[in-house]
Amino acid sequence: MGNNVFFREDLIKEKPDGIVLVGNRCRKCGKVFFPKADFCNDCLNNEMEEAELSRRGILYSYTITRVPVGKFPIPHAIGMISIPEDKVRIVAPLVPEEEYQIGSEMELIMAPLWTEELETVMGYKYKTVKKGRG
Amino acid sequence: MRDVYVLGVGQSMFGKQPNFMAPELGAIAAAAAIKDAGIDPRIIQVAYGSRVVDASQTAEDIMKRVGVANIEMINAENACASGGTALHLLWKDITAGFYDIGIVVGADALTTSSIAKGLIPTAKGDLNGAMGITMPSLAGLNARRLMDTRGLTLADLAYASVKNHRNACLNPYSHYKKALTTEEILNDKMISDPITRLMCCPQSDGAAAAILCTREIAARYTTKPVKIETSIVLSAPYEIWDEEVTDATLIGMLSDRTYEKAGIGPGDVDLVELHDAFSPEEIYAYECMRLCKKGETMSFIRSGAAEIGGSCPVNPSGGLQSLGHPLGASGVRVICEITLQLRGQAEKRQVKDAKVGLAQMVGGSLTNLSSPAVGSMHILTI
Repeated sequence: MGNNVFFREDLIKEKPDGIVLVGNRCRKCGKVFFPKADFCNDCLNNEMEEAELSRRGILYSYTITRVPVGKFPIPHAIGMISIPEDKVRIVAPLVPEEEYQIGSEMELIMAPLWTEELETVMGYKYKTVKKGRG
Repeated sequence: MRDVYVLGVGQSMFGKQPNFMAPELGAIAAAAAIKDAGIDPRIIQVAYGSRVVDASQTAEDIMKRVGVANIEMINAENACASGGTALHLLWKDITAGFYDIGIVVGADALTTSSIAKGLIPTAKGDLNGAMGITMPSLAGLNARRLMDTRGLTLADLAYASVKNHRNACLNPYSHYKKALTTEEILNDKMISDPITRLMCCPQSDGAAAAILCTREIAARYTTKPVKIETSIVLSAPYEIWDEEVTDATLIGMLSDRTYEKAGIGPGDVDLVELHDAFSPEEIYAYECMRLCKKGETMSFIRSGAAEIGGSCPVNPSGGLQSLGHPLGASGVRVICEITLQLRGQAEKRQVKDAKVGLAQMVGGSLTNLSSPAVGSMHILTI
């Protein structure tokens, strides 16, 4: 058994009931950024506060890459996830599933991204919790 | 502001040419453009180079091989729009009066480069890139949206590849000269669902060059000068969280600005050369570039409007689908094709009575910016 290491610890926070993605929010206009931004690109204010993103999102689009990309095992499913609660859309790997449907409700989970010699690199992925448009 | 003309164009072959380095291909294109212009190379006052991969001193390394040194030379990088950007810089020099004649040359040799055989990455250190986003996977994400929001079929998505491979059979410079059926394209190896290998442009080696000058110089060498009506380069706005990705905000903005500056509308355009690194990118560009009305992509495709004999031929050269995409060269190559078409020198792929041509090249992608990240657009007339 190898060790688990995190892919970019600054992006994730472990909570008792699972992980959340951590971005930040403009203190002036409330715009949320993921990954964290140094300043708000809407109002150029640089007073930002940490923001934990909602775990739930909607699958906006997806693709399954079948040729090697980085260290990911293939096939490697990637989705664009809209998070209406925070008004952000992010790109993240998807848990392997039979099929994906645009409009599905998705949930963030911790999952292995790839393995290196002695280590498993852990990160975040999304899985379908409710198929199709709600 | 002075008017700027295309005096000469030249291209190398496009394809797998492992025996040539990028500057050697660039020299072939530059020499061809100099010959086409009919000038002594020593009258060239400024040179712009564009190369994306393994770039160093591109213009200097190319121009020394064609008898030109010791002038101002600058190299531009702007992802897939690098060549169009370099051309734009030269256009600015001449229109503003800094110089009267100059050359732009774009070259890349991808098959022997540091990214050979891999998928083209976005940018080093970019978060989306680290999550596994590559250019083909972005095309896959967009393709899924096109099917979901516009009701297009897989066959519609493959259309640009079918048409452009057919056109390429008529282009002596192209990498592939083989017509393909929709079935062959859809049944080929899957790269990033639903993008198959034959919906992707091949990695190619190639170069293209253009010589631009003032009206006075053009009049000395030709009676059929091609005029650059307008030259625009624009980078993308910040991404809006719920924007529709297939609206490609940047392409729409770039198109509107170009038509407005030129005083020429999409209905006046006789032919278009555009970025089709992946077949669906040409498909969604029809609406973004106002070549058809919103919601009419399907009928635009099925009416044959984009064919060489159609009302708005797109990529008569065969596009990136068949010529490949030596990144630094493509933005200049589309100018070469439009120039040949307007002069009536495009031989078997000639668009009849072409008077107005539109050359677009877009590319790049970065987290938090609308995608594509940058583009160039030129309208040429004769």
